[in-house]
Amino acid sequence: MRVDTGHASMTAVFAATTLELPFRMPSPSTSGDARADERALVVAAQRGESEAFASLVRQHQRRAYAVCRAIVLTHEDAEDAVQEGFLHAFKALDRFLPDQPFGAWLYRIMANASLDLVRRRKVRDADELPDTVPMPFRDPGESDELRRRLNQALTKLSERQRAVIVLHDVEGFTHGEIGGMLGIPEGTARSDLHHARAALRRLLQDVRSDL
Amino acid sequence: MSDIRLFNYDDDEVTGGLRSLYAAPSGDAYWNELEARIMARVADVDIGWWTELDRWVRPALAAAAVLLIAAGIAMFRAHQVENEIAADSMLSSPAVPVSSAVRPSLDDDRSARIRYLFGCSSQDASCSAPNSKR
Repeated sequence: MRVDTGHASMTAVFAATTLELPFRMPSPSTSGDARADERALVVAAQRGESEAFASLVRQHQRRAYAVCRAIVLTHEDAEDAVQEGFLHAFKALDRFLPDQPFGAWLYRIMANASLDLVRRRKVRDADELPDTVPMPFRDPGESDELRRRLNQALTKLSERQRAVIVLHDVEGFTHGEIGGMLGIPEGTARSDLHHARAALRRLLQDVRSDL
Repeated sequence: MSDIRLFNYDDDEVTGGLRSLYAAPSGDAYWNELEARIMARVADVDIGWWTELDRWVRPALAAAAVLLIAAGIAMFRAHQVENEIAADSMLSSPAVPVSSAVRPSLDDDRSARIRYLFGCSSQDASCSAPNSKR
């Protein structure tokens, strides 16, 4: 089975993500104390204290995973992207200004790491795509059929549309935050979400009769 | 049948399905292990010599820029001093006396010949005049 990977739209995403946008996104915990604590951790990590960086990893890894998972196709790829992302963040830590929200900076790195991974996979699989659609992480309690149908519908979306709908509807990021992560204008994120929802509704319309 | 309800074209149902598909792994054990893997990779990066090199790239570039600017200023000053010396040497009095630069007159040649013919020594005052007779 050939899967439409939306190559043109992803090319646009990659081009857009090379731009440095003035990105402001609140970290998961935005209260004053939490921000101060996080700032202290960042400063300590910049001084080379690995335990401080480990604390930052602990605080952000779930959210970072969610960002990566929304962009890549599989749970394994999301894990790889999270590790790559944290590695990039560690290397670039001395260039981060502690007064800025760390989460926003980190999730942008995660999104870029995920997009890089998708691009590498695309180059590797350019000649031959797998016959089966990769399945996301499985909750053992869920129905296989349900997952299969919805997952098939998701593969009909472009990567960017899929990322936008998952980041918005599943993870609760705002349009502006998603735009900042993917390097696209807020309006484009809003439009992508609208088209993705419409496409899913259309694609799932005839599924019921199949069951 | 939750499966049937999912495909009821309702955004909430689709969103519910998406949440179950994209649910992050639960359980602290998984996240502790992921954190350990991340920190292991970070530790590997930290001991690499290129990391230390990377730390020195910016100061090295700044130092190189300062050195270049200093060298440029020094070269400019040296060139300026050379120009000043050249201008001074052109404007100052010439080293060769002006008289030596003037062609000797014909009278001087003639009197010298007369002195030679009449055997006058240069010390003899009577011979000094070009038209003197013995």
